Amino acid sequence: MTTLRPPRHAPDPRAVACWTAERLILTAVLAAVVVPAYWFLTDRPLWLGAVTAAVLLACCAMSVIGPRMLYRFQRWEVTEEAVYTRTGWLERVWRVAPMSRIQTVDTRRGPLQNLFGLADVKVTTASSAGAITLHALDAAQAAELAERLTAITQATPGDAT
Amino acid sequence: MSAEVAGTDWRGLDRRSLAASAVLSFTIVAPAVLVLVRIASANDWGVTPTVLACAGAGVLIVLGTLVYDLLRLRTTSWRLTGERLELRSGVAVRQHRSIPRERVRSVDLKADPVRRALGLAVVKVGTGEQAGGEHAELTLDPLTRQEAEDLRHALLLRAPATGAAGAAEHERPALAVLDWSWLRYAPLTVWSFIGAALVLGAAYKPLDALGLDEGLAESAWKWVTGDPWRAVPLILAVNVLAGAAGAAAVFATSWGRYRLEREPGRLRLSRGLLTTRSMTLEERRLRGVELAEPLLLRLGGGARVKVVTTGLRKREEKEADDVSVLTPPMPLAGALELAGQVSGSALPARLHGRPKAALHRRLRLGVVETVVLAGVAGLLDLWWLPAWIWLLPLVNLPIALLYARAEYRALGHALGERHLVSRQGVAARRTVALERRGIIGWRIKESYFQRRLGLITLTATTAAGPGHYDVPDLDGSAGLDLAARTVPGLLDKFLTKR
Repeated sequence: MTTLRPPRHAPDPRAVACWTAERLILTAVLAAVVVPAYWFLTDRPLWLGAVTAAVLLACCAMSVIGPRMLYRFQRWEVTEEAVYTRTGWLERVWRVAPMSRIQTVDTRRGPLQNLFGLADVKVTTASSAGAITLHALDAAQAAELAERLTAITQATPGDAT
Repeated sequence: MSAEVAGTDWRGLDRRSLAASAVLSFTIVAPAVLVLVRIASANDWGVTPTVLACAGAGVLIVLGTLVYDLLRLRTTSWRLTGERLELRSGVAVRQHRSIPRERVRSVDLKADPVRRALGLAVVKVGTGEQAGGEHAELTLDPLTRQEAEDLRHALLLRAPATGAAGAAEHERPALAVLDWSWLRYAPLTVWSFIGAALVLGAAYKPLDALGLDEGLAESAWKWVTGDPWRAVPLILAVNVLAGAAGAAAVFATSWGRYRLEREPGRLRLSRGLLTTRSMTLEERRLRGVELAEPLLLRLGGGARVKVVTTGLRKREEKEADDVSVLTPPMPLAGALELAGQVSGSALPARLHGRPKAALHRRLRLGVVETVVLAGVAGLLDLWWLPAWIWLLPLVNLPIALLYARAEYRALGHALGERHLVSRQGVAARRTVALERRGIIGWRIKESYFQRRLGLITLTATTAAGPGHYDVPDLDGSAGLDLAARTVPGLLDKFLTKR
């Protein structure tokens, strides 16, 4: 029986708060569109109000539950030879890319991530389907990791295809 | 002679282009005159104005084309230096484009019948850039046949193309040449069934505008509704016959004089009866081969071979044929042998099947599909549709289950000496042999339903072709072992064995 062992590191714990905030903001935007539309554009039938409220409540619930489930499964690891991640919740995905095939290393941080002091590290290979993202690392750690990855990949010979 | 092709002097295109455009513009003149005659006879213009109008239209079109072509010839020049192929062009907007010689991947020589008769050829030089998005291609329209051949040799062979080498070229044994008996596979596409109808549909509007209809459609409709038992089969038969004839004609023009040969370090493909394409694929960019068997072709015992390679430009929307296609439809045995020769090692003869769970997953999907269909039918029945709508899910169930079974049987994989082989698909079956050294990463996916059945989808990422190749619904443990054996040293550290 062969199984994949989990990668060693979890994302930064602040990720849960960051992702929750991200989803709650989206939910708020949705509510800001839907609620006035219900109030002013319809005859305010009770059943439609109930459906709207239920959908918005479900969105809120998912905003709180989703990030927690994602966080539980999300992990990453960088060894001397490869980058290895595990992501997903209902559909789970493991990704591996050997160090010798890595072409570019970027760090990315959106405004919200900036607020929480987080950053993503994105590693691309010559394959259009081979990009790997390490989500929600501590910003300083992410910068350091990106530097290390760049150094390793530059030291590795070959054209990465 | 490459010494003559390469040089620092700017060179022009061939003047005989003018003759070619004169002849080609005449083919535009003909329909214009037809339209004019039609308008004139409808308006009762009289003979002299009609002749004058026709002559005027003809002269204008031909003159306009000639003037434009002359301007184009005067403003376009090219040169091949030691490092780059450069092209200056543009009548209104001047352009200077250049391609480094070492980045040239394909050289196509195209010659329509007119240019061929004049000894001319259009040369398209491609770098096959996949990433840039921008169309990295230079067109030299036209050069003389000899210049074009020399340029191709200079760019792709980096060796002189002397007369002797040209002769030796045809003595070199080819990997494959066209066998006209393969023409029997040509009609085995969907186009045979819908092609004729599509052409008729497309031609109807212009013919109608020219007034060739004249109640033809109405009388045809009357005939069909009057005697449907004879008319409908007859129309279908004529449709298929015309479609098959069209498919055979397309096959003949695009694959006539087909020849695939191996030059040192590269494959060279030339084909085409009316326009000759000549493409060179560098073997160091080859990452495997693919055997494509669309349903009809497979039932007829045929297949075609494609290459899996990096740096080949993606199929363009306007382009009818796929650039990765290596052969026309041909007998399966020959295709398998050729695939082995191109990939450089024999491919595994027997493929392993998948666990029964993969079949169950597909059967379940078929049932779910039918239930959804029944639900929709129920809704429609409630509203307005007749009760026979219930036949749809009833008929769908056995078809869906049989298809699921066929899909399961199509699944196969094997690990060869140098290749990972994976087969899948019913309507469009393909067997991909991906070189193990070309695999630059793994993606292992497990959906909710797959997890409950203990299955995984193994995806090899690569720089070649579409970027990734899937091996769906492997047994979880066996799939990981397969991945570990395919690329030793990559996955081992992340596996635990119990």
